[in-house]
This record gives sequence, C-alpha cells and structure tokens, in this order.
Amino acid sequence: MDDKLNRRGFLRLLAGAGGLAMLAACGQAAAPAEQPAGETPAEAPAEAPAQGDTVVTEITFWWWDGVGQIWADEYAKVNPKVKVNFVNTPFADAHDKLLTSFAAGSGAPDVASLEIGRIGGFTAKGGLADLKAAPFDGGSLEKDMVAYKWTQGSTPDGRLVAMPWDIGPAGVWYRADLFEAAGYPSDPEEVEALIGGAENTWDNFFAFAQEFKEKSGGKTSLFADAGTDIYGAVYRQQGEGYADGTKVLIEEKATRPFALAAQARQQGIDANIPWWGAEWAAGVKDNAFAGMVIACWMQGGLTRDQPQTVGQWRIIRAPEANYNWGGSFVAIPEQSKNKEQAWEFVKWAVASAEGQNVLFKQSGVFPAYKPAWQDPLYDEPVEFFGGQRAYRIWAEIGDNIKAIFRTPNDLQLDDIVGAELTKVLQEGKDPAQAALDAEAEALKRVEGTVG
Amino acid sequence: MATQTVSMDARARAQDRRVMWREARRNGWAYLFISPFYLLYAVFGIFPVLYGLWLSFHKWDGISPMQWNGAQNYLKLLTDDIWWYTIYNTIWLFFGATVPQLCLALLLAFIINSSYIRGKDFFRAAYFMPIVCSAVAVSLIFGSMFGERYGMLNFALSAVGIPPVDWLGSAAWLKPSIAMVTVWQWTGYSMIIFLAGLQAINLELYEAARVDGARTRDVFWHITMPLLRPVILFQVILSIIGAMQTFDLPVMLAGGTQSSAPGGTDRAGLVAAVLLYWTAFKYTEFGYAAAMSFVLFFLIITFSYTYNRFQGRSPTE
Repeated sequence: MDDKLNRRGFLRLLAGAGGLAMLAACGQAAAPAEQPAGETPAEAPAEAPAQGDTVVTEITFWWWDGVGQIWADEYAKVNPKVKVNFVNTPFADAHDKLLTSFAAGSGAPDVASLEIGRIGGFTAKGGLADLKAAPFDGGSLEKDMVAYKWTQGSTPDGRLVAMPWDIGPAGVWYRADLFEAAGYPSDPEEVEALIGGAENTWDNFFAFAQEFKEKSGGKTSLFADAGTDIYGAVYRQQGEGYADGTKVLIEEKATRPFALAAQARQQGIDANIPWWGAEWAAGVKDNAFAGMVIACWMQGGLTRDQPQTVGQWRIIRAPEANYNWGGSFVAIPEQSKNKEQAWEFVKWAVASAEGQNVLFKQSGVFPAYKPAWQDPLYDEPVEFFGGQRAYRIWAEIGDNIKAIFRTPNDLQLDDIVGAELTKVLQEGKDPAQAALDAEAEALKRVEGTVG
Repeated sequence: MATQTVSMDARARAQDRRVMWREARRNGWAYLFISPFYLLYAVFGIFPVLYGLWLSFHKWDGISPMQWNGAQNYLKLLTDDIWWYTIYNTIWLFFGATVPQLCLALLLAFIINSSYIRGKDFFRAAYFMPIVCSAVAVSLIFGSMFGERYGMLNFALSAVGIPPVDWLGSAAWLKPSIAMVTVWQWTGYSMIIFLAGLQAINLELYEAARVDGARTRDVFWHITMPLLRPVILFQVILSIIGAMQTFDLPVMLAGGTQSSAPGGTDRAGLVAAVLLYWTAFKYTEFGYAAAMSFVLFFLIITFSYTYNRFQGRSPTE
C-alpha cells in the first residue's frame, strides 16, 4: 500500500470502524433476544435469577401439539424453580429439526418428543441420553409402563433413550344413531357380540358390513376405506413393524392385510373414500359410512371438526385381536445443559398420574404409564361416546397389545409396502404378488437387510 | 470473449490482472460495505453447495460419523428405478404443465397487450392472483375440488352426463390433475413477465407493419416473437429450473406425507425433489440424497443449455 493516509482515507477508516462496532453491538444485543425462541444457548446454561432469591432454570420442551402448553403451565405450580418453555414444533418437521440439531451439534431442546413411526431411526443412533444411567433413574419405571412401549424406547444394547409417553389403543368405532336407523342394536356389548372382539373374525365383520350396506340401500357403508380401516388394522394386529432388526418380514406380514383389504374393496363394502382429507370429512357429514377402525386419538379431531356426531360414537374391540396405532416418546438430548431439571420434568409429565392425566383430560392423549389408569376418571361415562365407559376399554386394549418392532428403516419400508398397497386397491393387483414384490423391493433397496 | 483471451499475450494478461487488483485494493472500503452480501452468500450459498458435493461421496445418516463412500451413491443412483421414475414424472409434468402454461401465458400476454382490450389492469391482477396463494392452501382447495365423490369437478361432469373421475386416486389421472393446478397457479406469473417484454417493444414497429398491411398473425410471428426472444428465453430457463424442482403441489396432491400413499397410486405423483427430500429426512440417507441433488442439478443445466442452443439456431434469427 503506497497510499498515504490522507484526510479522506482517515474518514473512511473511521466510518468503517464505526460500522463494524455497530454491527458487533447489534450482534450482542440480538443474542439474548433469540433465547425464548427455544434455542438453548451454546455457552452458559440458561440460569437467570428471578423471583426474589430463588434461581429459576429454564428448560425447553418440543412437541407438535399446542396442548403441550398445559404441561408448561401446570409444572410451574409443581416446581416453581423450573420454567418450561414449550415450543410448538409442527409435526411435519419436528423430527427433521431434531436430527438437524444433532448434526449441527447444538440447538436441540432439553426435552424432545419422538413419534412411534420415527422412533426406530433415533434409538439406533446417537444423540439421546441413556435415561437409565446417572443422573437419570429411569430403570425403576419399567414395570409401570406398557411393555411393548418400553422395548421400543430401548436400544439393542439395553439403554433407554426414549421414555414411553402415550399409546394409541385402537378398535372399531360406530355411530349409534346410524346403527339404530338401520335396525341394528346400538348397545356396545351387543354390537361386539355381532362383529367385534376375539370371538369374531374379519369374515364375520365383512359379512355384517355387506348386510349393513344392503339394508341402507347402498348409501351407508360400515367403514370408509379398505386401505386405512382394514389394511391399517389387520397389519397392526400382528404387531406393527415390517422388520425385526435386519430381517425383513413383509411377505409374512403384508400378505393377509393386503388380501383382506382387497377383498373388502372388491366386494364393494367400503365407501371407497380415502381418509385424512376433505372427502372423508364430507363423508362423515353425509353419513356415507357408519363406523371406522381407528385409534383413540380420533376423538380430539372429531370433537373439533364433526361436533354433530359427538355423543353418537361407540367403541368395541376389533375382531380377532386388539391393536395399537401411534403414540409418542419423550427424550433428553445429550446436548441438554439442564439434564437433571429436564429429567424431573419428564418424570412428572409422563411417569406420574398427575402429569399424564392433566394432559389426557384436555387432549385424549392416552398414557402409557399404567398407574395413571387407576384414576376414577377412567371409569367415568364419556359424553363423547354417549355415556359409554370408553376409557376403561382403551386401557384394557392398551395393556394387551403384541410387541411392535421398530428399526431405523421403518419409514422406508412403510413407503415400499404403501406403494404396493395402492396397486392392490386401485389397480387390482394380486395381494400375494404385491407382498412378494414389496419384500423384493425392500431387500434390494434397504441396505443390510435379509429375507 | 474466448477469442479475445486467446489473442492476448501472457504479459498483457498479467498486466491486466495487476490493474484489476490495484483497482480492487484502492476501492477496498467499498468491498467492506458490500461484505454483508458476500459473507452471507458464502455462508448460506457457497458453503452448503460445496458441503453437499462433499456429502454426496459419503454415507451419512445425519447423526453417526460420515463414511467415505467414493462414487457409490452415484453408481447406485444410475440403476435406481424409482429415482428415474420420479425423473420421468418430473419431465412429464414439465411437458404436461409448464409447456402449456408458457404457451397460454404468451397468448394471454399478447391479447392483453393488444390495443382493443379494455381494463388491462384488471386482467393483469386477476391472472396474477393465483401466484399469491400459498401452494399448501391451493392444494387443499383443489384436493377437495378433485374429490371423487363430493368434489365440485365431478359434480360438474355429472351435470353433463360424464361418469365421475378418480382424479387423485388413479395413477392415470394424478399427473394431469397436478398439471392442471400448476397451470392455474403459474400462468399469470409467466404472463406478467411476457407482458413486460411486450411493452418494451417499440410501437412504431407495429404501426409500420400495419401500414404495410400485415395481419395480426404476421405481426405476432414476425415482430413480436423475434423481439420477445430474450424474455422468452429467460422465462423458459426459469421455468425449466422451477419445473425440475417442483415440490409443494405434487407432494400435497399425491397424498402428503401419509405413509399409506407414498406419492400416489403406483408413485404416479412422486417427483424428483420429493424423493430427494424423503431420502434425506425420512430414510436418513443424506449422502444418497446429496448425490440425487447433484444429478438433478446436472439435468437442469443440460436441459437449460440444450434449450439455449436450440433457441440460438431458430430459423427466425
């Protein structure tokens, strides 16, 4: 640089330095403001003196349902020394966000939520603390949790990385008003004797569905969609999961669900209305189907979206076997700077009758923690189910469910099987061949799997 | 450009570079002031691209340490039938949605730009409106219109005696349905770009053509089209890029992320960008997904370049 430092150059330097200083100042001011957005700061733990002389520790809790705020509010009463910052992380990217924070090495919450479909991908890898090792004492809770759930949250080498939270006991739902209109009994015990429980088979269920549809002049089917109502139930009755470790079980486990779903579709006993969309919602309003085969968590959505049906629904056990659909876990990432406080919160939230039931009452999220079911709440008549004591039935179903296998490849296996299912239902592909093709596809596509 | 550099001898080039650096050094403070742009670009633009390239030669599940994998991801991709099927779906949608959309947009722009149309502002706003809507909201509304039993579209068809169509359920109709929504959403946007191009054409040319007795069709083919070529080129290239990366409409209309419908019946609505995203975040094969993204990038470059060449050799030149 041969330029002399003249007046203009000096001014430029000054301006530049001033700008930099301002940038730095902004950076400092902005950092603490980001904190409530749910990011644990990488440096010092979030301890701030508040409420007189007590130190309040802040912990962050991620879940994908706004109702989680109840836990944050209630826990403040139980343990005023800890403030739970609940962050509503939309389900569509909640798990991706957690995965990203593991990859980045920071940004994970103190308490994370994991859904059953994604659990296999997290237990097989690092990032989550072992809740059986100090400072945690999760091992003692094993006897209180629904058994299959405990296995899912554990790793093959026996660490517990995800604490069971809620389960999705499932059965057959039906509309009492539509059953009566069609000339059938509407009392759950009588209906279960006709089509549900271990004494009945899917063949009985289909025969009844056929008769029901004929009686209604073809207007009302017993259920909406062979894919969700029949395949979804029959597959899960065998215990969910298309692989046991590296062994792919698609041929064994998909053949019968495919065949029964295809049979229902070919006989024309389903309403042929796909689930989860506007068509299904319109179908409920139009009485296009009088029942469904689904899990307990439908109660919340129906109360909100189909209030005219509240009080008309009843539940019975599904034919042949009980099953589970869905459910979640909570976990404490290794990154957490406040593991002890996070663990106290987790124990209160998912492993105490108080914490579980305060959420259950508001949301219908069904506890995996069995002592919570002792609450008189579970024997009360439920208005949504027309006074039926439905919660006790869910609890009994939840306690009698076959083991569910979870592996890191579940989502991919589900997609492979799902693609074949669409061919079976929409294009009339032979169910046995479809199961074989899905198995072959999985073996080819998913590394390290065996047949 | 190329011939210039070749004709320039090494000394002149070195001299040139020295001058350039001296200029840059003298204006150092200016670079400081624009630093927020290139620093952010380096962090959020260049770095992810290079990291993605690096990643595509690894096996990585997002949590465990990365493993060097050589070209294995790319070799696997070559024989991945689902991947090439998603590329087929993507290209199908380019020809089924983007090409008609561009033609329609050009036609509309020409009509709106013509002197005998009143209320140009109204039409411009009306056609542009769909692009303002979020793709998710659009998909939900069209999803209900496409419903087999309760959808408006089938209701309209039934009024003229046509049996209901399973728009989103059957493999044959899924792509046309997605294409229809894409055309609906994007035509107005392309139209605005074309319109801007049309308005830049000197009106005297039209007047001269009229005086010489040219018909509207002749004016369109011999004045509008040649002069609009740069704008068309720009818009077509952007559309190729957009179409190859199409994501939101297909993922929503082909069943969302429900595992029971992975891209619609027989994966008929599964496009490349969706499979790429799922491979990374659902199947946690980040290295493989990175390889997919670079193959997609290469395809986009190839198509854009091919179009550019084709356009260059147009007989109207």
